[in-house]
Amino acid sequence: MRGFGSVAERLRRATVQVVSGAQRGLGSGIVWDSGGLVLTNAHVARHREAQVQLWDGLRLPARLVSIDPRRDIAALRVAAADLEPASPGDSSVVKPGELVIAVGSPLGFAGALSTGVVHSVGPVPGMGGQRWIRANVRLAPGNSGGPLADADGRVIGINTAVMGGLGIAVPVNDALAFLRRGPLPSLGVTLRPVSHGLMILEIEAGGAADGASLRPGDVLPVSVEALHQALDSGRETLRLPFLRGGNRRVRQTVVRLEARAVAA
Amino acid sequence: MAHELAALSAELSSVTARAGQSVVAVHARPRFSSSGVLWAPGVVVTAEHTVRREEDITVTLPDGSAAAASLAGSDAGTDIAVLKVESKGPALVISGEPSPGDLALTVGRSQDSGVNATMGIVSAVSGSWRTWRGGRLDRYIRLDLTLYPGSSGGLVVNTEGEVIGIATSALSRIAGLAIPAATIQRVLDEILSSGHVARGYLGLGLQPVELPNHQKGLIVLSVGENGPAAKAGFLLGDILVSLDGSGVSDTDDIQRILEARAIGQSVEAVAVRGGEPRKIAVTIGERPRGN
Repeated sequence: MRGFGSVAERLRRATVQVVSGAQRGLGSGIVWDSGGLVLTNAHVARHREAQVQLWDGLRLPARLVSIDPRRDIAALRVAAADLEPASPGDSSVVKPGELVIAVGSPLGFAGALSTGVVHSVGPVPGMGGQRWIRANVRLAPGNSGGPLADADGRVIGINTAVMGGLGIAVPVNDALAFLRRGPLPSLGVTLRPVSHGLMILEIEAGGAADGASLRPGDVLPVSVEALHQALDSGRETLRLPFLRGGNRRVRQTVVRLEARAVAA
Repeated sequence: MAHELAALSAELSSVTARAGQSVVAVHARPRFSSSGVLWAPGVVVTAEHTVRREEDITVTLPDGSAAAASLAGSDAGTDIAVLKVESKGPALVISGEPSPGDLALTVGRSQDSGVNATMGIVSAVSGSWRTWRGGRLDRYIRLDLTLYPGSSGGLVVNTEGEVIGIATSALSRIAGLAIPAATIQRVLDEILSSGHVARGYLGLGLQPVELPNHQKGLIVLSVGENGPAAKAGFLLGDILVSLDGSGVSDTDDIQRILEARAIGQSVEAVAVRGGEPRKIAVTIGERPRGN
């Protein structure tokens, strides 16, 4: 019998379910080293504490180590040894048409497998200037944070969204850069695109924007790409224009972009 | 086993890359671009339903550069549009008859991300098929693969990289189809020589009925004003039972007969009027264009 059997089985053993917060839904995660490092999506691990369920059903408490909302990656740590980690591939050589396997817990079914091919690699409108892997695989809520792997079972991406029916994954090289150098600078806000810019929906306590005079409902009259470019400029402070309450006057605030304290 | 999968994966990505050398992104509608194929030197073929304007059409070539394109003509019936572009791709190798179960890739292109691919299988193949838009495909080739916005007009190839056709999501509600290479060549030749595909036309609205003697026919429900049938003297309520010597029981029969005859030719129709069959000579006109 030909099939994805053994490749899929190894990948399945390195895939976990992640439950973060009380009402937050289920996501997936990837065992990154045998010592208990687990990678998942930032949007799955939104709380300091989470629960991780291994492939064999064992449930372990997990702690959020680091989070990068811009790349949608988070690192969790569980107290375990001798886990079977996934092996990372190289997302810089991923080509359209190559076979991919996704494992996750779509709608709560642990270890579910979907296969397809890489659709394309490149920027996604509205998701910043960075490159994403788009894959012709059927994903569902719960696949988020799980692995997208090549035909050898090497992880080339972390599944993060479904857009127009296509699975969208963070390239694994971005995840490796995050593990080496930490998260990209971020404002610490939840943004939603509106007709004239980006509206602030939520401001994280302790985030960069928390100390500035911004409020939920304010609109930053910039594109996601321009905002990311400004954040990546290396400056410690950022002068940020914003609009408030239907007023046409553009106000300004200054945001301090010091490296955010991250629990280690 | 894993090795076999890796080999298949490498094969699929190299077929995609090679096919991609013939695939362009077509910018001829708002929001999403579509894909097109460098079918012959200077000629891009795309899906007609994705061409929503006649001017300011551009394409993104395989090398990433943009080029202006002009619409040479299109045929909504087969969902084929032909663009002229100053560029050429490698010569295409046309596949033999595809079989259900064959792996198939649709290779498209977008300006931002370059080549894209989606994979599935050929799910059904049958003979000549009339589309709901009135055109005829030389083969009905149904694809079991997901077509995304932008996939239409993309090149459908097998794992050898041989061309099955061009993908379209507009000819079937339930599945993507490949417009067969033979149909593309036929329609392309006609468009390049005359700018459009002329279709025979009688100007009759017809509905299949059964006569009291169990003979099948088509009852005339409408007669197009000043159309060929009106000029020939057709009346509402006539029951068309034969055209050009063949019995007709379905509108498809009419289309088939008209296709075999040239526009301007006179054919003999037999219609039952008041219970009596009568012969009516009608000159085949050209289907009015414009939508």
